[in-house]
Amino acid sequence: MMKYLLSRILLFLPAFLGAATLIFFLIHLIPGDPVEVMLGETASPADKETLRQELGLDQPLLAQYLRFLSGLASGDLGDSLSQQGRVMDLILRRLPATLELTLAAMGIALMIALPLGIVAAVKRQTWMDHTSLLFSLLGLSIPNFWLGPLLIIVFSIELGWFPVSGRGGLGHLILPSITLGTAMAAVLTRITRSSLLEVIQEDYIKTARGKGLSEWSVWLKHALRNSLLSVITIVGLQFGSLLAGAIITETIFTWPGLGRLTIHAIQTRDYPLAQGCIMLISVSYLVVNLATDLLYKFADPRITYEK
Amino acid sequence: MLPGELCICQEKETTTSHNFLSGKIHLIEKFTTRLLLTLSLALVPQLGCLPSSPSDRPPGYLIIGLESSPTHLDPRYATDANSARIAALIFSSLTRMDERSRFKPDLAERWEMIDERTYLFHLKKGVTFHNGQPLTAADVKFTYETALDPKNQSPKRGLLNVVEAVDQLGPYTVRFRLKAPHAPFLESSMLGIVPEGSPRGRDPTENGLIGSGPFSLEKFLPGEKVVLKANTTYWEGQPSVPGLVFKIIPDAIIRVLEFKKGSVDFLQNDIEPDMLPWLKSNTNASILTRQGTIYQYIGFNLEHPILRHREVRHAIAYAIDREAIIRHLLKGLATPATGLLSPLHWAYESSVLRFSYNPEEANRLLDQAGFLDPDGEGPLPRFKLSYKTTTLDLRRRIAEALKEQLEKVGIELDVRTFEWGTFYEDIKKGRFHLYSLAWVGIADPDIYFTIFHSSSIPPHGNNRGRYRNPKIDQLLDRGRRISNLDERRGIYSRVQKMLAHDLPYIPLWWVKNVVVMKPTIRGFIPYPDGDLISLKEVSLAIPYPPS
Repeated sequence: MMKYLLSRILLFLPAFLGAATLIFFLIHLIPGDPVEVMLGETASPADKETLRQELGLDQPLLAQYLRFLSGLASGDLGDSLSQQGRVMDLILRRLPATLELTLAAMGIALMIALPLGIVAAVKRQTWMDHTSLLFSLLGLSIPNFWLGPLLIIVFSIELGWFPVSGRGGLGHLILPSITLGTAMAAVLTRITRSSLLEVIQEDYIKTARGKGLSEWSVWLKHALRNSLLSVITIVGLQFGSLLAGAIITETIFTWPGLGRLTIHAIQTRDYPLAQGCIMLISVSYLVVNLATDLLYKFADPRITYEK
Repeated sequence: MLPGELCICQEKETTTSHNFLSGKIHLIEKFTTRLLLTLSLALVPQLGCLPSSPSDRPPGYLIIGLESSPTHLDPRYATDANSARIAALIFSSLTRMDERSRFKPDLAERWEMIDERTYLFHLKKGVTFHNGQPLTAADVKFTYETALDPKNQSPKRGLLNVVEAVDQLGPYTVRFRLKAPHAPFLESSMLGIVPEGSPRGRDPTENGLIGSGPFSLEKFLPGEKVVLKANTTYWEGQPSVPGLVFKIIPDAIIRVLEFKKGSVDFLQNDIEPDMLPWLKSNTNASILTRQGTIYQYIGFNLEHPILRHREVRHAIAYAIDREAIIRHLLKGLATPATGLLSPLHWAYESSVLRFSYNPEEANRLLDQAGFLDPDGEGPLPRFKLSYKTTTLDLRRRIAEALKEQLEKVGIELDVRTFEWGTFYEDIKKGRFHLYSLAWVGIADPDIYFTIFHSSSIPPHGNNRGRYRNPKIDQLLDRGRRISNLDERRGIYSRVQKMLAHDLPYIPLWWVKNVVVMKPTIRGFIPYPDGDLISLKEVSLAIPYPPS
C-alpha cells in the first residue's frame, strides 16, 4: 500500500507539470493586456512599457514560462495584478469558503442520493422507483441559476427561514449547498440504484439469501457495500468539479469562494491569479483522484495495490 | 393511502423474503419520514436564526447593494466606477463637480488661474483627517507627487501628466505649475487627498486608509463588502446616518430580492429594466429616475470600405428606431441622445443634426451611395456587417433588435457577443465593423480629444474608429488650451455640430439613473454621473431599531 501511495505521488509530478504547462499557455493565449487593466487606458505607452518590463511581461513567452515553473517549485505563485496581495494569500483566504460549500453540498447530495437510490432499487418498478427517476431527471435538468433564485424566493423571501445571500452561519449555508448538491444528488441516485441492481444478481447474494440472512442484511450489508465502488468513483469526480468552482452558485448567493475569484482573474487578465486558481483546481483533482483510489481498498478488501 | 406507505399489490417481482424486506423498509420509512417531517417543520426555520457572523447590519447603518466590488479605495489607484464613488465618500478633494458638471469648492475654498500654466488653490482651514491630523498643503503636495511618481504605478498618472510641479506656498496654499496650457486641468483637482506619510505605492490591505471625507473606512473586504462610519468631525457637519455598508451582490435578481427581504436599503442603477414594474408592485420602494450622463453609442470602423461612406453611416442611423428600443427593451429608462454631452452639461449643444427613425430615407441614402438592393423586397442584403457587443443579456437583446431594424433596409448584421476582455481588445485593435459601448463619467468636454482627435488612435487614446478630420483636430487642440468658458463653449459647439454631421458614432441614448430605496430614506439627490456623495446628506425618517 505504501509503495502504491509513493508511486502515485511520484506520478503527480508529470501530471502537475502537464497541467501547469497547459494552464500557462492557454491563459496567455486569451486576448487582453493586464498592464492596461492595472494602469488604465490613459496611461502613456511609455508607462505601460515600464510596467510590462517590471512584471516581466516583455520577456519571451518561454522565459516567462520557466519563471512560472520555478515559482511553482518554490511555492511562490507571485502577486496578483488586479487585487492587493500575494496570489497564495488571496487563494487561501477564499479556500475555506469553497471547502465549506463543497463539503456541505456533497453531504446533502449523499444524504439524498443514498437512501433514495437504495429505495429505488429495492422498490424497482414501483411508484417510489419512478419518483426517484423523476427526481434525477429534474435534478439534472434544472439549472443552478433557476433553482437558486427559486429557493431564495420560497425559503428566504416568502417563508423568511434563511438569509438571501452571503456567507455567515449555518443558515447561510443551507440554500447554496442545496442548489449545488441537487445535480450531484440526481446523478448519485441513479448510480446507486443501478449499481445495486447489478450487484443483487451476483451469486454471492443468492448464497447470502440461501444462508437465511435477512433481506435487510442482504441489501444493506452485502449488496450496498459491493456497489459502493461506482458511487465512490462518481463522488470523487464530482467533488473535484465542485471544488473547481461552483461559479454560478457562488455568484447567485454572493458566496466568497474560489470560483468567483477565478472568473474575476480571467476577466481581468490577472495571469498570476488565474494561474494560481486553476493550478489549485488541478491539484485538487489529482488529490481527490488518489483519495478515491485509496478508498476503494476500504470499500472492497479484495482490491490490492501490491504487485 | 398515506404518504410513505407502500402499495404491495403493485409490486411486480416478489419473493417471500422480498415481502419481508418490504415490510421492514415500510416500517422504517414510515417512522423515519414522520420523524424527519416533524424535525424539519420545527427545526429548519430555526437554522436561519442560528448565530451568524457579526451582524450584517450594524445599528442604524444604511445597506447599499453594489453589482461589483471596488478594487481600490486609495484615490490614487481607484479607476473603476464603484471604487471612485466610495473613495469620494472617504476622501475629500480640492474641488467637486455639481450636477451640471461645473466645478465647485470642496477642500479648496477658492482657486485662481494666475496664468495659463499656473493655478493657485487656497485650502479651507480647520479641516482634519479621520485621525485628527490637520489637512494642509503638504498633504495635497504629497498626494499629487506620489500619484505622479512613475515608481508608484498610479493609473492616474496619465491624467495628471500635464502637471510639472506642485508647490506648497504656505500651510494652506498650493500652486500647480503645468507643462503647457491645459484648460481641462481642473478635472485633475478632483483627486482625493491622502495624508502625508501614507504608503506611497499600492497598500496590500487598504484597511488603514485615512481620508477627510464625510465617512471613514471601517472595513474593506474585497469581493464582499465595504463598511464606512460617519465622520463625527466632518467639516460640513456629521452625516445623519451612523454608517454605510456597501454589500457586493453580483446577480441583479438577487440584489432585488435582498431589497425585498429588507437586507438591502438602497440600490442605484444596475437594475434590469424588467424588474422595475415588479419592484413597484411588490415592495414599498421609493423609486427615483433622473436624467443621466451615461452615453450609449454605436461606433463605426471608418477604415471599413463601406462604412467610410458618410451616406452609409447616415442611413444606418436613420434605420435605427431608438424610441422603440427605449420603450420596449429599456422600459423608458433612457432618453434618445444627440451626442456625447448630455443636456445637463454646460457645453451641451442642442442644434445638431438629428436622425429620427426613417427607413425610407435610409434606403434612399444607401441607393445614393451605390449600395443597391440586389433583389428589391427579396432576402438578399445590400451588404453584410458584423456587430460586436458583450454577453450581457440586455446588450444581446438590443443587438437582436438592431439586427431586425437594419434588415428592413437591406443590411445584414452578424451579431457577435464576446466576454468583456476579448471584446475590449478587439475594439482597441480595430477588429470590428460596428460595436456598441457606453461612455461613463463624462466631465470635461476635453474627452472629445481622447475619442476623436487623430492623435488618439489606440494605443495612444480612444479613437477606436480611426476617425480623422483636421478641422476637428484644430478645434480640439484649441479647446484644451483656451481657459475662457464662453470661448470653450463656442469651440465645443462647433465640434458637436461637425461630429453630428460626420457621424463617427451613432448616438443611441443617455441612460437614466434609477434609484430604488426604502421609503424611510430622505434627502438623497441622484447625481447625473451616478455619484453617491449625496449619501452624506441622507437621513432616515424612522430610525432603524438596533439589531
